[in-house]
Amino acid sequence: MNRALFRLSLACLVMFVLLLINVNYVQAFESSTLADKPGNARTFDQQFQYQRGSIIADGTGGPLTIAESLPTKTSTSGNTIYQRHYPDGAMYAPITGYDSIYGSTGVEAAYSKYLNGTAPGLQVQNLISLLSGKAKQGATVNLTVSPKAQKAAYQALLSDGGHQAGVVALNPRTGAILAMASDPSYNPNLLTTLDGTKLNKVDKRLLADPSQPLLNRAINQTYPPGSSFKIITSSAGFSTGKVAGPQATIAAPQPLRLPNGNLLNNDADEDCFGGHPQVIQAFLLSCNTAFANIGMKVGGPTLRSYANKFGWNDSGLAIPMPVSPSVIPKITDPSFTAMSSIGQFDDQVTALQEAMDAAAIANHGTLMRPYLMQSVQAPDLTTITSTTPSVLSQAVTSQVASDVGSMMVQVTQNPDGTAYQTAGPPAVGSLVIAGKTGTAENTVSGAGLDDAVFTCYAPASNPQIAVGVIVKGGGFGADAAAPIAVKIIEAYLGVH
Amino acid sequence: MLAFAVAVVLFAYANVGFGLNGKIPAGLAEYGLAFTAIVLVAHFAVRWLAPWADPLMLPLAALLNGLGIVMIYRLQESGRNGNPGNQISTISPSTTASQVMFSALGVAAFIAVLFFIREVRVLQRYTYTLGAVGLILLALPAVPGMPNAEVPGTGAKIQIGIGGFTIQPEQFAELALAVFFAGYLVAKRDVLALAGRRFLGIDLPRARDLGPVLIAWGVSLLLLVFESDIGTSALFFGMFVAMMYIATQRTSWLLIGILLFVVGAYAASKVFSHVGARFTEWLHPFTAANVFCNPTPAAHCVSSYQLVQGLYGMGFGGILGTGLGHGQPYFTPLVQSDFIMTAFGEELGLTGLMAMLLIFGLLVQRGLRAAVAVRDPFSKLLAGGLAFAIALQVFIIVGGVTRLIPLTGITTPFLSQGGSSLLTTWALVALLMRVSDTARRPAPQPIQDEGMTQVVRAA
Repeated sequence: MNRALFRLSLACLVMFVLLLINVNYVQAFESSTLADKPGNARTFDQQFQYQRGSIIADGTGGPLTIAESLPTKTSTSGNTIYQRHYPDGAMYAPITGYDSIYGSTGVEAAYSKYLNGTAPGLQVQNLISLLSGKAKQGATVNLTVSPKAQKAAYQALLSDGGHQAGVVALNPRTGAILAMASDPSYNPNLLTTLDGTKLNKVDKRLLADPSQPLLNRAINQTYPPGSSFKIITSSAGFSTGKVAGPQATIAAPQPLRLPNGNLLNNDADEDCFGGHPQVIQAFLLSCNTAFANIGMKVGGPTLRSYANKFGWNDSGLAIPMPVSPSVIPKITDPSFTAMSSIGQFDDQVTALQEAMDAAAIANHGTLMRPYLMQSVQAPDLTTITSTTPSVLSQAVTSQVASDVGSMMVQVTQNPDGTAYQTAGPPAVGSLVIAGKTGTAENTVSGAGLDDAVFTCYAPASNPQIAVGVIVKGGGFGADAAAPIAVKIIEAYLGVH
Repeated sequence: MLAFAVAVVLFAYANVGFGLNGKIPAGLAEYGLAFTAIVLVAHFAVRWLAPWADPLMLPLAALLNGLGIVMIYRLQESGRNGNPGNQISTISPSTTASQVMFSALGVAAFIAVLFFIREVRVLQRYTYTLGAVGLILLALPAVPGMPNAEVPGTGAKIQIGIGGFTIQPEQFAELALAVFFAGYLVAKRDVLALAGRRFLGIDLPRARDLGPVLIAWGVSLLLLVFESDIGTSALFFGMFVAMMYIATQRTSWLLIGILLFVVGAYAASKVFSHVGARFTEWLHPFTAANVFCNPTPAAHCVSSYQLVQGLYGMGFGGILGTGLGHGQPYFTPLVQSDFIMTAFGEELGLTGLMAMLLIFGLLVQRGLRAAVAVRDPFSKLLAGGLAFAIALQVFIIVGGVTRLIPLTGITTPFLSQGGSSLLTTWALVALLMRVSDTARRPAPQPIQDEGMTQVVRAA
């Protein structure tokens, strides 16, 4: 009988080993999968029982706390319940997003693992607080956002006469996002209520609002770029050698008969330096026919490939919030290429992409990857992670960038330049802004005003900030969009 | 060892208080003293009645019993007396006190077994009596008109109510039937071991010898059908097959047993929707994670809410656990009974859970060792069967709540709330210790035989 007993003990051993393996699987390997299951009340509860980390705008003019968790009340079960608070509300909403009991958006969602303290780098910290009996605390996320620039951006958007608009400001040297504002915005504090019924009501109201306040117009809404796209067209022309340089002469008839027989006009049917301007002259006046010609010389596919180098058509871009791709459609037909090269046809752009176009030119043709997170700090102030600026692409050579840059300077400095009055010496004195206006016929908005676009960087000699502004239905880019960019630049550089 | 076990339990108890509200819990003195006293009484009883018994078994049992009380106290306090958490409606404010009282009763049963049964062998005389008792106990809850036959919220009809208390007779039936199996198999083992034909290298038994195993199978199935108690039915059948194997050493019995079990389980899952539901819940727990069956689980209703909550809790505990009093085990319905291991997993973590499984494993190993060491075949068979029963019971319930196997409700030995289970498990440990005492006693002393005979006559 003992032989059978030995075999039976082996069976018992196997049963216990199976149990041990299985609990290891559940508690060690499956642990995070289980935590992420929708409807896991423990994860849900934990969210508000621990102090979530703060979000700090740590750029120039900071640090400024833009999201924090405050102890509000004691629950029936005796635990302190924390509620999210956004001191500046709507101003930073496109950046912070919100963290509600149903879900989160923006930085709150993108860096949730750090903010709630479950990221791998924070586990040692959590263990220490567990052993020392201290409450678990999330990590602080420091953003590159400059409170000065952000405030100027949001207030400028508010005072533009009620148009929907988005704006992004970048540091062209690093790609750090200095400001990102959207109008109309929403108050994220309305969504932090712990009352599910109340939250449902607020959420429904915001979603039903025809002005779409939850939409981040800086990165998730595209508009036709209009003439601002001439930066890309020029870059492609210079880079391919189809256009010798800014001083080369280019045909700019008024009107230009396209291969398909349609006529393309300059703005206000303007005669562009007698129809034979230098490229730089055509640029500062923004003559459509000149750039349509350059676009046709370069060819649709090549033009698109240069746009791609500036970050267009990139559906994978994230800051870390996903960015809607700016689109240059694939075209071979020369007539459509002509339309596309002046930012019409089916071209679509975000405010962020506008800022990236200017930033690449400002940074000697090197486009830096845009980012929001400067660093993440554990509760004991040790740095868990930080962003090292990285190159997204070499859009153009340094020489081409300098050529295009010199043309952008003329837009504001030449008295004939389209933005001379609003971004040139009459408006900003000795500060030199290099920019390009865009006034896009918006077929979508139909009878309404054109969309106003302005993209620029400053100071031209030593670029520190690049801005992209799009005002839906704002009218002329120089009148509606440029002043917004100017206000941000002045606030950020501290000049006035 | 025993002092160490008591110290661990008292420390864990104090820890619950700190974890819940930062204070030493109110009942530390009363419950702590009561537990220490119970354990000490058990210890001296062993010194007196079974001095040669395995010295590790009592500390292991005491540690598990103590940790069970600690967890039940922690669950009772959840949401009560200003402590964090939600109140668990199925636990009353006096549950811990009852559990301590049941532990005392359990230890009393433990001592009684040691006192009255000086030699396990004598039980062999009552083989058929105990077999009948076991069957009656099993059948009791299924008798029409029995009060309180159903465990609230589970659908299992395994209780009977007597004067304000409910008892689960099947728990006691486990011991009676184990004795019956051992007695029957010792008597019939030569017949059963007789090979019939050889087929594919396996000795098949004669057809008429299949009788007992078929009867056991039938009783298990009846239990399953009439009382909706899949876990206990699997436990009894498994124990029977294991003992059959020990007695005959024929692999064929093992294979026949496993085959019958698989066929039975498969057929039951097809025929009875509540058994089929258990399989669905096991394979696809997250699809029915938020289904609530109202008012009590209907036979056809697939709801893995309890299972998934248990898994969430264990996942939440991770490797080191939240610490006693810091977790949220109150999300899992009936966590104090079948799912108590998930509460340990949540608050003590993977580390704590593994340690507790190893304690169970040690207890089983000690039992099997006693079975190997003892010379008398009846004692050998009984001890082997009982030790295997503990292992199987732990496997069925812990495997069930951790989704290793389909979940079948059954108590966790020593840990789950409830007196019947505690009493039975303590009596079971007493039997194992008695066997181990017999096995390890240095030399038979003829003079003691007389005394033993008197005792048996008295019993």
